[in-house]
Amino acid sequence: MSFSLSVKNLFFSYGDRKVLHNVNFNIQKGDFVGILGPNGSGKSTLLHLLSGLLMPDTGSIFISGKNTQELSRKNWSQEIAIVFQETNLNLDLECYDVIMMGRFPHWRRWQKENQQDIDSVLNALQITNTQQFANRPFRELSGGEKQRVMIARALAQEPNILLLDEPTSHLDILHQLDIMRILFLLQKKDITILGVFHDINLVSQFCNQVMFLKKGVIVHRGLVGKSLHAPQVEELFDVEFLEEIHPYSLRPFFMPLGIVKKIESPSASIHLICGGGSGSNFMKEFLEAGFSVSVGIVNQFDSDQEMASKLGIPVMIEKPFSPISDDNFQKAINLAAQSDYIFIAPGYWGRGNLKNLDLAISLQERGKKIFFLQDSLDRNWDYTEGLAINKLNLLAQHHAEVFSSFTELIDRIKKDCLK
Amino acid sequence: MKITKKRQIILALIIILVLSMVFSLGIGGGRFQISDLLSFLQPSSLLPTEKTILFEIRLPRLILSVLVGAALSLSGAVLQGLFQNPLVDPYVLGISSGGAVGAIVAILSGISLGFITLPLFSFLFALATTFLVLRLGQIGHKMPLEIMLLAGVAIGFFFSALISLGMFLAGENLHQMVFWIMGGFWNSSWNKVYTLLPFFLIGFPIIFSYSRELNTFLLGEKVAESMGVEVEKTKKILLIVTSLLVAASVSVSGVIGFVGLVVPHIIRIIIGEDHRQLLPASLFLGSSVLLWADIFSRTLLHPVELPVGVLTSLMGAPFFIYLLRRKKKGW
Repeated sequence: MSFSLSVKNLFFSYGDRKVLHNVNFNIQKGDFVGILGPNGSGKSTLLHLLSGLLMPDTGSIFISGKNTQELSRKNWSQEIAIVFQETNLNLDLECYDVIMMGRFPHWRRWQKENQQDIDSVLNALQITNTQQFANRPFRELSGGEKQRVMIARALAQEPNILLLDEPTSHLDILHQLDIMRILFLLQKKDITILGVFHDINLVSQFCNQVMFLKKGVIVHRGLVGKSLHAPQVEELFDVEFLEEIHPYSLRPFFMPLGIVKKIESPSASIHLICGGGSGSNFMKEFLEAGFSVSVGIVNQFDSDQEMASKLGIPVMIEKPFSPISDDNFQKAINLAAQSDYIFIAPGYWGRGNLKNLDLAISLQERGKKIFFLQDSLDRNWDYTEGLAINKLNLLAQHHAEVFSSFTELIDRIKKDCLK
Repeated sequence: MKITKKRQIILALIIILVLSMVFSLGIGGGRFQISDLLSFLQPSSLLPTEKTILFEIRLPRLILSVLVGAALSLSGAVLQGLFQNPLVDPYVLGISSGGAVGAIVAILSGISLGFITLPLFSFLFALATTFLVLRLGQIGHKMPLEIMLLAGVAIGFFFSALISLGMFLAGENLHQMVFWIMGGFWNSSWNKVYTLLPFFLIGFPIIFSYSRELNTFLLGEKVAESMGVEVEKTKKILLIVTSLLVAASVSVSGVIGFVGLVVPHIIRIIIGEDHRQLLPASLFLGSSVLLWADIFSRTLLHPVELPVGVLTSLMGAPFFIYLLRRKKKGW
């Protein structure tokens, strides 16, 4: 069968700089493909090649089975229309006239506008919900309205395929959703759509296919439901993401965690003793400093446990609302023994988690370096009638290092790493 | 603005032009005056001297000024649209300085091929300059317009130096040279009209047929190309056709400034940016403006005749500044 769009062995470079490397894909009629990728991955270049604004070094592009090399410029524009990021154009023309320009590929020289042209423009106005601007000068519109008019102009070309190069990048959230809804509607009318987007969640909610482009290569492709998940997205952007389910669309929803992806070879490993949310912030800080982290012991459903699991950190878990069992105590020692340093996060101490300090003492006896902050010695945080403070003091007497600030601690570990 | 209103404005500009032409026939030195205009309708009643004044002196001059005004304004409108730059005028590709160098070469070398000598030399030099600039501005098979603009400016400076050198060496020919450079219609003749006319009859329709392409350029070259416009081909054709028109104009009238810059601006304010109306309106207004400039040049200091180029610049520059300061929309 013939595909709506088919790309074979596409290569492109600007002089010596290779931009696209052996790109191959087929797209069915009526697909809505979201193209994602970091800056400079060749997304825009791909769209330029598909619309004939650039010519490939080698390789071919087929539109509805037709080789584009045999298409005239006008025929190409009847098949594919493109909308760019823009648009700070200050045209004095009325929007109706701007949209009418989209009819260009259907005109012969000197040909007058006929009823078909007018119908096409009216249709485009209706789909994009821009009727109310039809007789207003283009320059008076807001960014989102201008972009809708530009989509209408592209629709007036009556293309089978619509390309969009970051159409929503400069728009506020309402207008972004506006544009995406229009595109979603077009897909239902069997127009094939390929769009470059920066917002993974817009792609996840509205597209049915994704294409990941990195350094000029398609690294991943497939249906949104099946192929768009955190591991691939993290691989693409080198940033850690949290994947949830969007409550309405039931599509995956991604939240960047603000942490650069785990470094292959961490410079140091740290075991974090925390609980009740006292450790969440430190997990992030250690990871960003390029260290590997393990956590324990924390109770299940403790916010520190949830954060550690989301971040993919090894964590020793005790049953909910239960004191630490001897069995888990031993397992925690084995886990923590693999780390270079033990850090006790400042937090509340009670009978339930006092055993975590015994854990630290056992580890110190095995020769592990123990760190904690001056804040930990605050009596207000101790609900064990001084037992916790005593244990901390005991640790300090046996050469646990006490820091006045967390940055000081990080610097200390980094200095160690340099040796 | 509604399309019917735009058409009415164009119609009004045509009527103004026709009335101006009739009026202009009745003005100038010699026996035939405005009050005698009616007798123009009955040529048989005219005296032989009146016929000579009318048909051999005033009419060709009238037609030349109308044609040159049309060519300069139309070219200005096209080039401003093409370059997307409001400061572009028809001489942007170095045509005027090239033409002037040609004229100076003709004068200094003393070559004489009859009345055609000066126009021919200036035409050829103007064209050669244009193609030099087009060639310099071309990179690969593309013509990046900003590079073209810079190439035009650079060549213009180079030729201005040559012109100064020519004037320095001119001796007693200086007068002739200065007159040519300042621009005017004093040596009009039917021969010049006939040599000029083919360029206009071919050039104007070609330019008008590209109105839609010029409109798409308003959205940027990239968008224009994505809509099916062969951008590089369009640029090439329009640059060549306008260059031929302007070179032809310069060769018969010398350098007449500001008409090609100001007229498209005025039209853009009145009628908008749509080239389907902008181009014809610029053409008709440009004709009228240059016609009136010529009328004033003949009458202001009668019997001394001012160079038209000086007059258009004297009137055009302040008016242009006025326009720029009051206009806040569009460009």
